Amino acid sequence: MEPKGARRESILDLLHDAGGLRPGAVGKVHLESKVPEADIYGVATFYHLLADTTTDVFVCDGLTCRIAGCGSTMKELEARGEKARFVSCVGRCDAAPATWDRRGRPETLSPAYSPSSDQHAIDLAARDDQRYDALGLARDKGGPWVISEMDASGIQGRGGAGFPAAVKWKGVIAQPVKERYVVLNADEGEPGTFKDREVMLRRPHLVIEGLAIAAFAVEAQEIYLYVRGEFGAAKASLIGALDEARARGDVDDRVRWHFVDGHGAYICGEETALLEALEGRRGMPRMKPPFPVESGFRGKPTLIQNVETLACVPAILKNGGAWFRTLGRTAPGSKLYCMSGHVARPGVYEAPLGITMRELLDLAGGAVGTLKAFSPGGASSGFLPASKLDVAMDFRALAVEGSMLGSAGVVVLDDTVDMVEASLAQAVFFEQESCGQCSPCRIGTQLIRQTLDRYLTSGRDPKTLEIIPEVSWGMSEASICGLGLAAALPVKSAMTWFPEEFGID
Amino acid sequence: MSGSKFVVIDGNEVEFREGETILHAARRLGIEIPTLCHDDRLEPAGACRICLVEVEGSRLMQPACAFRTAPGMVVRTNTTRVDRNRQFIISLHLADTVADRDEAEDVSRSKLHDYAAQYGISEGDWPHVESPREGRADDENPFIAFRPDRCIVCAACVRYCDEVEGVSAITLANRGGRTTIATADLRSLDHTTCEMCGGCIAVCPTGAMTEKPALFYGKPERELERVRSTCNFCGVGCQIDINVDREANRIVKVTSPPPGTTVNDGNLCVKGRFANDFVHHPDRLTVPLVREVDGQLREASWDEALDRAVRGLQSVRETHGSDSLAFISSSRCTGEENYLIQKLARAGFGTQNIHQCAAT
Ligand SMILES: Cc1cc2nc3c(=O)[nH]c(=O)nc-3n(C[C@H](O)[C@H](O)[C@H](O)COP(=O)(O)O)c2cc1C
Ligand code: SF4
Ligand code: SF4
Ligand code: SF4
Ligand code: FES
Repeated sequence: MEPKGARRESILDLLHDAGGLRPGAVGKVHLESKVPEADIYGVATFYHLLADTTTDVFVCDGLTCRIAGCGSTMKELEARGEKARFVSCVGRCDAAPATWDRRGRPETLSPAYSPSSDQHAIDLAARDDQRYDALGLARDKGGPWVISEMDASGIQGRGGAGFPAAVKWKGVIAQPVKERYVVLNADEGEPGTFKDREVMLRRPHLVIEGLAIAAFAVEAQEIYLYVRGEFGAAKASLIGALDEARARGDVDDRVRWHFVDGHGAYICGEETALLEALEGRRGMPRMKPPFPVESGFRGKPTLIQNVETLACVPAILKNGGAWFRTLGRTAPGSKLYCMSGHVARPGVYEAPLGITMRELLDLAGGAVGTLKAFSPGGASSGFLPASKLDVAMDFRALAVEGSMLGSAGVVVLDDTVDMVEASLAQAVFFEQESCGQCSPCRIGTQLIRQTLDRYLTSGRDPKTLEIIPEVSWGMSEASICGLGLAAALPVKSAMTWFPEEFGID
Repeated sequence: MSGSKFVVIDGNEVEFREGETILHAARRLGIEIPTLCHDDRLEPAGACRICLVEVEGSRLMQPACAFRTAPGMVVRTNTTRVDRNRQFIISLHLADTVADRDEAEDVSRSKLHDYAAQYGISEGDWPHVESPREGRADDENPFIAFRPDRCIVCAACVRYCDEVEGVSAITLANRGGRTTIATADLRSLDHTTCEMCGGCIAVCPTGAMTEKPALFYGKPERELERVRSTCNFCGVGCQIDINVDREANRIVKVTSPPPGTTVNDGNLCVKGRFANDFVHHPDRLTVPLVREVDGQLREASWDEALDRAVRGLQSVRETHGSDSLAFISSSRCTGEENYLIQKLARAGFGTQNIHQCAAT
């Protein structure tokens, strides 16, 4: 229990300033914040960028980076005497095998993009629009008009769940409580996903304008921008855009803007875990209900939206919700798809929602090698076989296939990939990123990973896999949040589509 | 279903009460739902997931310990899905901790193993999970041991320390499978704000938090006899269960009765829970002693000892007057005893010099 007046929300920043969990840091932060020492230690050890004070270079060993040979990257770094370690994602799958240097060394990321088009709501290749026309329109026509256009657009959240954004906007504005918040979810961490990063780097004004419109429409007084810790350049880009917009008077001081850094925990992309992090706690997802719309940041009504979702807002207001709807094929809008793995041109492609996987592959220059399988929406979406190339890449059609669009981080696998190894890569990711709060996920992710290890070390004895069906059933039934609910999907789907690799006939 | 004033659980109606959880509504119907991470004194955490039940209209099962009822809600606790989940959760936890019951209950009792027996889950059905939970092997505090291999990471101990004791000496640390119970910088508990109340032991469903003295004594709690008594360290009247090894005629440890059953609601302080080693101490006085003229102490009867005390007090009064006497009562005294000692001072010896050590 912290004393009254304790500065709980500040402890992550204070820990960061103290250089992470170094000797003496807990005591120092305790003196400054009055938060109990044990709590500070508990928080610090949750976030690997705070708990790990020695590593300089974080090397990704996620699926995409494994197939691109992250092992040799590590060897090179070690040979150079760098302090390096493997982590499960650094958000740069387009540059696989990817690394992130925490000392802020300059890096060149050059993913491919779709060419500019008026059929794109975001249009990464276009010059960033700095006129804030949409915000002006919103102010002229009022909040209810904004929300009705959002409704008409049918836009589904782009962070992974595909939940209709307008429902949340309406939900927040309907709350009797007037202290309200808008939160930008820029914690993009789903392996295979790097679209939000590119939106922030290339179209930061769209994000700032979208946030300003959202705060205006739901009558929020404060905006929090939670940016993944490994995305320093993206954060700087947003800060630069906000400064410009302020200097020109497009954004005024009626709304307060706060930038908050992530500190290395994939789970903080889950919206309620993110709120916990904002409040200076361990990023453990909350039980729902209540939903953030009703009780979010500081227990107040909160609108949390993904970067891409908000970046679509200016185009929706300028061209109308009906226009946005027509951009999609099977569901409203154009969508950013991240292509990585065995593709010719890894990058971010904007295409109509519902484009087939076959067409998407073409956009990215086709598969390298013979296509075997793909993961349509990040690790959480499991795998589909090449025979599903004509599936519509939208939220509903993929769910019917037992998969999901998720964050649209598409990972392409050719026939050199062993599906057991691929499942293992995803299992390692979930094991490392589980928050550890609920037992199905905390223990289940370990059991899955250990079982796959055992299968491989036993010379592929199928008997070792016997518990997988029951464990994956329980995880998908009993976990608190989406991480645990989906964590067994990779191995389960791999066993379904590639039974022979698991010794099942 | 609006308009209904009832909640339906397994076909039985129970009157809706604002803010009540499914667990408590079910209890009123006599329907038992297993819980591991829940304690009525704590905010629900929904962590262990053994209490999941089906709620009509909800795709996923919901935690009975945390989910609030609503008028007209229809709940099922007796379906194969609910049962399968209970078995799943028990199997998971057995795989993750010490599966063998005798080994797991070498000192304390384990609710997890009670459930395993009840649901017919045998140990070792699933491969052991090598969870890398960190302990504090060199924690030198005299009272509380944490054994990470038995911990189901339900965080009841952490929540108790925070929400009931208001101390926050312990925390969840690390994440994922490495999640464990820790102190700040893994210091010994006696170098933290810990008050050694032992509440973290009392709420622990597995015995991962346990009394160090009992751990050293090494006899399973199951083989001890529980004797209900009243703690006499202060006047509150906390109920305690003295765990006695009858064969050796020894007190092994003191535990707190279940919450909700006694005045102390399952809580104790460091004295009630741990200050009992004096009972078997060789230096303990068990008979009155009086001092001979040569200055040596010898055993005496109560009558003789009390007579001696009375004479001493009287002679002081006669020689130096009433106000040369002062009476100080112990905070171990009850209200009634405090009344009697002031009566003795005022009516018996005619002085107002009366004090109680807890009154300062
Ligand atoms: C394990 C997990 C991780 C998530 N990670 C992210 C993320 O990195 N970025 C994001 O925008 N949403 C993420 N989400 C989804 C958020 O919980 C939430 O649905 C989203 O931020 C809402 O915004 P949207 O409706 O605009 O998508 C994640 C969800 C889960 C369960
Ligand atoms: S499912 Fe996993 S990540 Fe989500 S709350 Fe449970 S342990 Fe944490
Ligand atoms: S003994 Fe009491 S104060 Fe100490 S850690 Fe346990 S619950 Fe907290
Ligand atoms: S020590 Fe006991 S109460 Fe604490 S988390 Fe572990 S099992 Fe739960
Ligand atoms: S008792 Fe309900 S989740 Fe643990």
